[in-house]
Amino acid sequence: MSGKDQRPTPPAFSPEDMARRRRRSVALALVLGALVVFFFVVTLVKTGPAILNRPL
Amino acid sequence: MSAALDRFDPRSDGVALTSTGEAGDFFELLKPRVMFLVVVTALTGMATAPGSVHPVIGLASLLAIAVGAGASGCLNMWYDADIDAVMTRTAKRPIPSGRILPSEALAFGLTLSIGSVLVLGLVANLPAAAMLAFTIFFYAVVYSMWLKRWTPQNIVIGGAAGAFPPIIGEAVVTGEFGLRSLVLCAIIFLWTPPHFWALALVKSADYARAGIPMMPNVAGPAATRRQIVLYSLIMAPVAVLPALMGFGGLIYLVVSVVTGLAMIGLSLRVLRVTEGEAATKACYALFGFSILYLFLLFAVLLAENAFGLMWALPKVIG
Repeated sequence: MSGKDQRPTPPAFSPEDMARRRRRSVALALVLGALVVFFFVVTLVKTGPAILNRPL
Repeated sequence: MSAALDRFDPRSDGVALTSTGEAGDFFELLKPRVMFLVVVTALTGMATAPGSVHPVIGLASLLAIAVGAGASGCLNMWYDADIDAVMTRTAKRPIPSGRILPSEALAFGLTLSIGSVLVLGLVANLPAAAMLAFTIFFYAVVYSMWLKRWTPQNIVIGGAAGAFPPIIGEAVVTGEFGLRSLVLCAIIFLWTPPHFWALALVKSADYARAGIPMMPNVAGPAATRRQIVLYSLIMAPVAVLPALMGFGGLIYLVVSVVTGLAMIGLSLRVLRVTEGEAATKACYALFGFSILYLFLLFAVLLAENAFGLMWALPKVIG
């Protein structure tokens, strides 16, 4: 058996770790959602009301 | 449990791939208290600028500036994790305490740095974005990587990074760098040495253990105390300039004179009281009051310029 194969099995996430990671993912999703709203509002303000008056 | 969810890379001798740090830990990397001060000073730069900006654009710009400041704080914590670990004041920060991996902090800081500069460029203008980029570079590279471990003048020169936000704020409004924000920048720049050296006098053993050449460790406590007084004596009159230049009103004049005198008085106490518990108290009193001092100056300027509370004074300079 080579030395590489003798390495101990590394520990995996515990249920508590998984819960923390889930909370972190939810926070990231909220930030990304807020960014979408942020860019939408800023685009409207930068472009002005004329953005709604374009020919279809 | 699936191998994909393993916390450690099996090929790398148990080196962690990802941490279990939560959103709050990442937020702590941004140095929220510094961010708050940056928001106040940048907003004051915007409020005192000759001109106006759409409130949404102003708010979006302020957010970008705050995130940029946070990003530089994050990069600072990434680079300084080794010395943070040996200092009592900083040992509980997210990286030395193991809640966040250095690689995560680096990626987070770089992403926010690039993102905040791009957003400010798109939302406001190029000069403001360029100044934000320079500020992040100055704090993360010039101060953190170069000055901090090399010279006792680290916080004097590095303090410029903390002094730039009013200039960015004015650039958001005018697209240029004007004299008013330069004065605000000078106030913060001159405020930095008395503020940090008051703390460094108390924490000099901590800094010595970490190998950081702070002024008290290199030049000695007596020389540091003299320099604190010197900077306070220069800072207090400079802080009155906004009133003399017409963008600070009567309230600002009174507040800047009274609190400036208090800063000088507390600095003199630090100079006189050099032994025992009383000396520590004198240093903490100056450190604590200096935060209130800077906050008051900018809050009053902000109230006068943004909320119409200005009792205008005759313009003496500029």
